[in-house]
Amino acid sequence: MSSKPLTHSDKSLTIPARFDQLRRAGAFVSDMAAAAGFEGLQLNRIELAVDEACSNIIQHAYAHRPDGKIHIRVQAERGRRIVITLIDTGEPFDPEAVPVHNPEASLDDLKVGGLGLFLIRQTMDDVQFEFNVPGLGWGQPKRFNRLTMIKYL
Amino acid sequence: MISSLNVTSQRVEGQSTAVLKLAGRLDATTVGQLERALTDAQLSGNRVIVIDLSDLTYISSSGLRVLLTGRSNTRKRGGEVFLCSLRPPVREVFEMVGFTAVFTIFDTLEQAMEAAAAVSRG
Repeated sequence: MSSKPLTHSDKSLTIPARFDQLRRAGAFVSDMAAAAGFEGLQLNRIELAVDEACSNIIQHAYAHRPDGKIHIRVQAERGRRIVITLIDTGEPFDPEAVPVHNPEASLDDLKVGGLGLFLIRQTMDDVQFEFNVPGLGWGQPKRFNRLTMIKYL
Repeated sequence: MISSLNVTSQRVEGQSTAVLKLAGRLDATTVGQLERALTDAQLSGNRVIVIDLSDLTYISSSGLRVLLTGRSNTRKRGGEVFLCSLRPPVREVFEMVGFTAVFTIFDTLEQAMEAAAAVSRG
């Protein structure tokens, strides 16, 4: 057996769509990101993106529906990048319809909507939303939503 | 479950100032504690609320929203919210969303307390 260090890892976790699971999701992703070489503020940014994305799914896609689930897949390439995929079967939404947070807005104009989405886009290098993706059968849901977030080292 | 946020509240003698110290993580699961502490501090008639973030290690948009609401409610009553001692991960999130320009932020608790005393005297 070669003792060559593992450079790729691919793990998944499915959590109930509840706020009390946010930290578990964040820790799962940050542990893999740390093993891939991310550290310090970078790790905080990755955890924040996962936290905000899961919070949006819990609040908006499932509207706190108790049976909702979030499937999290993390593909980490050591020294290069991390790809985080979140899958849910809740209501799709139009990210373009969410008011965009404007950090330059004057105090009076400051609205607190869209902060989560804004932070996801600020903290990750590549963010892609897909809605109503058809499933492939074999026990998969008929349709699902997929958010892919990529961060490079 | 042990809460991952600790909020301690202290009233400053002879001033209408409350100091809230946050330790741990401010996210969707813990914001309720800060909301309650802010409401208590406002209802007790404090004009200035100093929020010491020196032991806050993490903040998400849920925490940012509660701080913003707390600031706006306090100002509606003619008061002020001062923040101090932001750690790098927290400061970075404040900078990303533009909150460093919204909040009055001090590097140290001492500086925030001096500013609070000035407001209290004024």
